[in-house]
Amino acid sequence: MTKHWKENRSLLLFAAPALILYTVFKLYPAIVGLYYSMTDWNGLNKEYSFIGVGNFVQIIGDENYWKSILFTCKYVAVMLLAANLTALTLAVVIEGRRRGKGFFRTLFYMPNMISMIIGGFMWNFIFTKVLYALADNYGMKFFDRSWVGDPQNAFAAIILVSVWGITGYLMIIYMAGLQGIPVHLKESAALDGANAWQNFTRITLPLIRPSLTICVFWTLNAAFQVFDVIFSLTGGGPGRQTQSVAMNIYEEAFTGNIRYGYATAKSTILFLIVFLLTLIQLRVMKKKEEEM
Amino acid sequence: MNHFGKMKKMLHPLSTILLLLFAFFWMFPLLMALMNSFKTNGELLTNVMTFPERIGLDNYIRTIEKMHYLRSFCNTLVLAVLSVSMMILFSAMAGWRLCRTKTKLSAVLFGFFVFSMLIPFNSVMIPLYKVILALNIKNSLIGLSFVYAGMGVSMAIFLYHGFTKGIPLELEEAAAIDGSSRIRTFFRIVLPMLKPITATICITNVLWVWNDFLLPLITLSKNTKYTLLLSTNTLFGQYSSDWSAILSALILSAIPVLVFYALFQKQILKGITEGAVKG
Repeated sequence: MTKHWKENRSLLLFAAPALILYTVFKLYPAIVGLYYSMTDWNGLNKEYSFIGVGNFVQIIGDENYWKSILFTCKYVAVMLLAANLTALTLAVVIEGRRRGKGFFRTLFYMPNMISMIIGGFMWNFIFTKVLYALADNYGMKFFDRSWVGDPQNAFAAIILVSVWGITGYLMIIYMAGLQGIPVHLKESAALDGANAWQNFTRITLPLIRPSLTICVFWTLNAAFQVFDVIFSLTGGGPGRQTQSVAMNIYEEAFTGNIRYGYATAKSTILFLIVFLLTLIQLRVMKKKEEEM
Repeated sequence: MNHFGKMKKMLHPLSTILLLLFAFFWMFPLLMALMNSFKTNGELLTNVMTFPERIGLDNYIRTIEKMHYLRSFCNTLVLAVLSVSMMILFSAMAGWRLCRTKTKLSAVLFGFFVFSMLIPFNSVMIPLYKVILALNIKNSLIGLSFVYAGMGVSMAIFLYHGFTKGIPLELEEAAAIDGSSRIRTFFRIVLPMLKPITATICITNVLWVWNDFLLPLITLSKNTKYTLLLSTNTLFGQYSSDWSAILSALILSAIPVLVFYALFQKQILKGITEGAVKG
């Protein structure tokens, strides 16, 4: 008993700095947020009071919020497919090479190093200046349209830049998965007359399932919180047409309205959605893995 | 040669072309930004697809002043170094003891740290802002580095905890028998052995803090405290049509991370697979 106590005391001493910072800056805000979401706290008045589910009732009728949720869901769905397909294709093609592996890996990962604020501004230049120049001076008429000013084009632009920014990371994970596949499996399949496509769907894909799980999970998580790339590319515009949930919450809390309580209620809902999706996804992925 | 080998040969040039096309697309924004960052606004107006008439640093000199580059750079550096130092020291201490202590409390504490990795930043952002106001650390780089440390310890503890499992206990025991205190053992014996995972944690988190935008955006409102990204963002807003200023600012902000990438590429790429497999 005394030995346990001694060990625990030592543990607490060593864990204390981390524990304190973690509690103050992560856990406490997460928990107390639930309370704030039921208050009318704002940046204008010092006093605020408990209003129960008032904020949540109001959110039901908040058109901009649901639009931003819908937009984010659309973004997540397209990103899951587009980013993972691009990353997997690049990984397979690069892994299949004998030379230049390192070079291509380095190059494709590069956008991940740069903040999407910087990357987004660079693409902003491409969309607002370079593409027009291509259309005017080189006759590429396809490019002659408003890329960030039209909702549909802006969505495409956001996807394009996001894929550019995230693919390198996913690609590295897929490449690690591909490297774990024993060469003799593919060779014997080829001897048995399997073509490249069969080889890919029957051997590669099942064997890289762990990488797939990680990548899907990661994309889902990152895409649901998307902020930087939209902030720097369209600012949520035109109007609020490309506003993500994170931007909607930011706008509610820190620009204009400064309605903290109401914005916290919005972020609580976002948390529940992400949490639920994560649970469902882990379940599904686990089931699939067990089936194999 | 078997069927498989033949097909591989056939696909080879095709894959090279595909990769080169992708590579060109991938580098396009960076190259366009770089090329045009040397031009005057007049040149930029006529054609963005041509090489600059001369490679001069006028734009860069102008931009360095406009965005207070040196100051912003130092602010970002201070923030990253302080945050990551604390994260590493505190997480290594906690992760090591959590792994070595086999009590119920230890298991509970570990779960307590790890569970919050599921909470997205957006959903704690506003209450966190309130905590920052209450502690009076808005516009304080040192204060903000505590916030980053607090948000980053979970993942780091998780990694240290896992890594400690793989290092033999004998050395620590021998040190204890020799009368070395726990603290001494930690700094003299354990910390050096944790080095490989420390490198990974350090690199990953330096990049996180360096490239993070939203948290500084809401907590640093004084421009003397601005990070590189905040300065760039402000410049973008102020000189919205002055592309020669903006592009040179973008290149200037990208340079530190690209240098970092050139120096630590191997560890960065290794860190992704390590973090991803364990996370």
